[in-house]
Amino acid sequence: MCKTVTRLETDQEIIYMCPFSGAVKGKVLITNYRLYFKSSDAEGPVVLDVPLGVISRVEKMGGASSRGENSYGLDITCKDMRNLRFALKQEGHSRRGIFDMLFRYAFPLSHGLALFAYLNQEKFTENGWNVYKAMEEFRRQGLPNNKWRMTFINKRYELCDTYPNLLAVPFKCTEDDLRKVAAFRSRGRIPVLSWIHRENQAVIVRCSQPLVGMSGKRNKDDERYLDLIREANDTTKKLTIYDARPNVNAVANKATGGGYEGDEYVNAELVFLDIQNIHVMRESLKKLKDIVYPNVEESHWLSSLESTHWLEHIKLVLSGAIQVADKVSSGNSVLVHCSDGWDRTAQLTSLAMLMLDSHYRTLRGFQVLIEKEWISFGHKFASRIGHGDKNHADQDRSPIFVQFIDCVWQMTKQFPTAFEFNEHLLLSILDHLYSCRFGTFLYNCENARDQHDLRTKTTSLWSLVNSKMDLYLNPFYTPESGQVLYPVASMRHLELWVNYYIRWNPRIRHQQQSPVEQRYKELLALREEYLKKLEQLQLSDSSSSYQLTNSTTPNTTSSTASTPSQQYTHLQTPL
Amino acid sequence: MEFSDHIKTANVEDVVLRQPLHPPSRGTLCITGHHLLFSEREEGSSQQVLLLLRNIDAVEKRMSGSSGTITIKCKDLRVLQLDIPGMEQCLNISRSIETLSCLDNVSEMYPFFYRPTDLSLQDQWGLSTPEKHYTQMKELHERWRLSSVNKSYSVCPSYPPAVIVPNCIDDETLKKVAKFRQGGRFPVLCYYHRKNGMVIMRSSQPLTGANRKRCKEDELLLQAVIEDSDKGFIIDTRSSQQVHQARMTGGGFESKSFYNCWKRLHRQMERGKALQESLIKLVEACSDESHSVDRWLSKLENSKWLSHVQTALSTAGLLAECVERDGHSALVHGYEGTDCSLLICTLAQLIMDPFCRTLEGFLALLEREWVQAGHPFQQRCAHSAYSHARFQQESPVFLLLLDCVWQLWRQFPLALGFSEALLLRLANEVYASDYGTFLCNNDQERCALGVKDRTHCLFRALLRPAEIDYYSNPLYEPTELAIWPSVHPQSLQLWRGFFLRWTQLAHHLEEVQEEIRSMVIEWARVAQR
Repeated sequence: MCKTVTRLETDQEIIYMCPFSGAVKGKVLITNYRLYFKSSDAEGPVVLDVPLGVISRVEKMGGASSRGENSYGLDITCKDMRNLRFALKQEGHSRRGIFDMLFRYAFPLSHGLALFAYLNQEKFTENGWNVYKAMEEFRRQGLPNNKWRMTFINKRYELCDTYPNLLAVPFKCTEDDLRKVAAFRSRGRIPVLSWIHRENQAVIVRCSQPLVGMSGKRNKDDERYLDLIREANDTTKKLTIYDARPNVNAVANKATGGGYEGDEYVNAELVFLDIQNIHVMRESLKKLKDIVYPNVEESHWLSSLESTHWLEHIKLVLSGAIQVADKVSSGNSVLVHCSDGWDRTAQLTSLAMLMLDSHYRTLRGFQVLIEKEWISFGHKFASRIGHGDKNHADQDRSPIFVQFIDCVWQMTKQFPTAFEFNEHLLLSILDHLYSCRFGTFLYNCENARDQHDLRTKTTSLWSLVNSKMDLYLNPFYTPESGQVLYPVASMRHLELWVNYYIRWNPRIRHQQQSPVEQRYKELLALREEYLKKLEQLQLSDSSSSYQLTNSTTPNTTSSTASTPSQQYTHLQTPL
Repeated sequence: MEFSDHIKTANVEDVVLRQPLHPPSRGTLCITGHHLLFSEREEGSSQQVLLLLRNIDAVEKRMSGSSGTITIKCKDLRVLQLDIPGMEQCLNISRSIETLSCLDNVSEMYPFFYRPTDLSLQDQWGLSTPEKHYTQMKELHERWRLSSVNKSYSVCPSYPPAVIVPNCIDDETLKKVAKFRQGGRFPVLCYYHRKNGMVIMRSSQPLTGANRKRCKEDELLLQAVIEDSDKGFIIDTRSSQQVHQARMTGGGFESKSFYNCWKRLHRQMERGKALQESLIKLVEACSDESHSVDRWLSKLENSKWLSHVQTALSTAGLLAECVERDGHSALVHGYEGTDCSLLICTLAQLIMDPFCRTLEGFLALLEREWVQAGHPFQQRCAHSAYSHARFQQESPVFLLLLDCVWQLWRQFPLALGFSEALLLRLANEVYASDYGTFLCNNDQERCALGVKDRTHCLFRALLRPAEIDYYSNPLYEPTELAIWPSVHPQSLQLWRGFFLRWTQLAHHLEEVQEEIRSMVIEWARVAQR
């Protein structure tokens, strides 16, 4: 793949304790990017190809004196819904080498080493770092205008160290206002514009919670600032504030200095969206993993699935986003926040934008959406994913971004023609969320990325994607701009994303969207071919003043035209 | 009695119709002997809703002041609401619907009156006959013959007049075997596997009774099926406990000591009432609009519908495995041999036989294995999930089959030549239809009423050029391989297209199918020029 891959450990005999096909003997190869295992069994070889970034925890199991077959070895917990177990011979500290290598290169940051993305020398025809330019995106939305202006107040990340350096704020507010508001918003994450509706000029504004505290502090500047946001849209009588949290959690946050907007915000109405925090989501996904890996729950599958609450959380996130989108499309500006405004808030704003703006449903538009609402606005990827960090039990870890991608997947299932990208893109994004092969999802905020020269020293995931766009395109896509997509957020219409969460189990037949996609693409390609042929024939025919378009006489084309049905059957299906 | 005797009020003006996916509309309601017709009377629109009364499963009326509301729950799971001015009119209408929607007399049903201009009663009824089927299956002729022992339906009232049996078994023997099998359903051939010459037979249970009666002829027949091969499998759709209990009421099973070449495998499949109750629970869960207590997944699980789907598919998989992988012949039966046996024989053929997966082959399969083989459609499909009537013989076995086929279709989206639209259409037609195909319980009854002369055949109608495109899978790509379904609960899905079809979402998905279809048709047109 690239020059800088270093081979670290090679050719050691090892047993992979495959939960599906039992103990498999083979050889393991570890580089600073991946763990590669291939069984020595020639027929139906078992292959494992695991980027080290996926590893969350490496443990030794059994000791030199443990009894029982295959009781001595390594246990690897992965971030992508699987665990790996290897057994070795109980002699001469056979596992020490592998363990040390894995431990060192799966968690480079804990060992003072660089993440693999900084060593990767891959070259692509496209440069993914050019996909998102904040100013270009604002211009696309029609900004700045007479109500909204751009500010560089955060150029050096002084106002808010987790925000991007270019922000859109109400035209009427001064830089001084912004500083005062920043003092009253958790971590200085002031309300700024995320998206503006082209026709009705209603906006989505995002921020963190106000620092109300136990004493119920007020801040006139914040109140006035929110009113400026409301005034910037003529049809907004009351600014709707969507607090993503459950009501009780918002109240509890007062104890730690946070809180929510009270009655003093006279021109605003507050709605709680009941979405749980990062800890609840982490535990929910953990429960889901328990029922799908290594063995899938058989006898009470649906009620077990229900008891993980994973789909219920998906439902709440989606229905929250639907409310946001609906408000905005009916000409009402909204403000969205949770506690810090980098988890649930990012989910809500980005999903609502995906519903409202068909641009984000294109392959490049979706990249922009992720770059903008997630990466630039400081979703703490590093903390949530724990890239290269050995502290697997870190309470900051949480699958918030996975949950967002799941919500997007649910939407693509419900609107199969509305998205330019396919499921493969979503799977690839999640794979590289962990892999550390690209710089895209590294660090918590732009400030940190700048300090580490991320964009000059690493490659973007979008370089890979945009160099091979064909792989990620949905052939069923039929662009329809201006249409708001409201997915059905009822449990009845949500499905578990089997192709992701249960993909390691070879016994589960996944819904085979891909062969359909594949087949459809083949048909499209054939059609193209025929259209081209036809064009050539028309060209050659017109030169001999022969009009093909009105011709009913069978000519030479008909003999080639009888073959498609044969070609049709020769196309291979991966059944 | 004339239909008009049941119709006190034939027309009502100013009725408001509320139906899923449409805004309410105002217009005229009209009741005829077989239909309910609503015509919108608003400017600039001429929407009409024509509903077969037979499609109505339950009627509920609610009076308030001088007007009333009738809620109509259909067998296709649609729920309509009619606001009718005038108390008397409302009562008349609801009474008419109640009576006319469940007429017992088959020859008064709509198929006997349906006369479309593009179909003629002189046309052949049905796609094939047992005779033709046998003639076409040349490979069979050496070892198998066509017997007309049942030509007057005297040996087995629910079998067609001609059946396929081993060559060496004569009609006299068959008559004796029939006496030993419930309802006279002696073992007959239903599938011949070309790849290895193995067969699937089906029958009803043997009447061994408490004192373990045996029947030499029955043993002989089964021995003739496996000939010189070492063994065959009997797939009994009951548990081993159930078959022992069955002996107490005169039924029973093939005991090892008398059928020593046959190995019995038991797979308990629910049928009858249990299945009907499962459907009712599922539909209840699907139409429950309360979002506050959302225990949807538990409700779905409690309905057990998906576990019935799972059992049916895995039993069919087992049957196909016996034949295709192990290379043995098999006999399938449960009690009467008119429900679960047909279900798994049909599914096994879809799994193994590429021809059954074509549109035409699938319809022919349904004709052979359900219509001709005597699935009692009239009894099973008299009512569906909404009816308040006390259930007698109702059971959604055929709907379960369609669901299982849909699961196959979903897991192998390219391997089946027909579309989901076909399965949906069949799910409607089996409960209420313009065609005679699903009338009556068996061939004998159909002949007695002249169904084949006086009604049109659905299967032929579906294969008309105007319809065939709609019911074909545009991405179909035949494969010779068996299609083994995965039966893990994670691989099975609720058939949303049917059970949740009256929600907005089902429409988007239909649109996609439409998109693909038009794309492929366009492509074909380009290629033809």
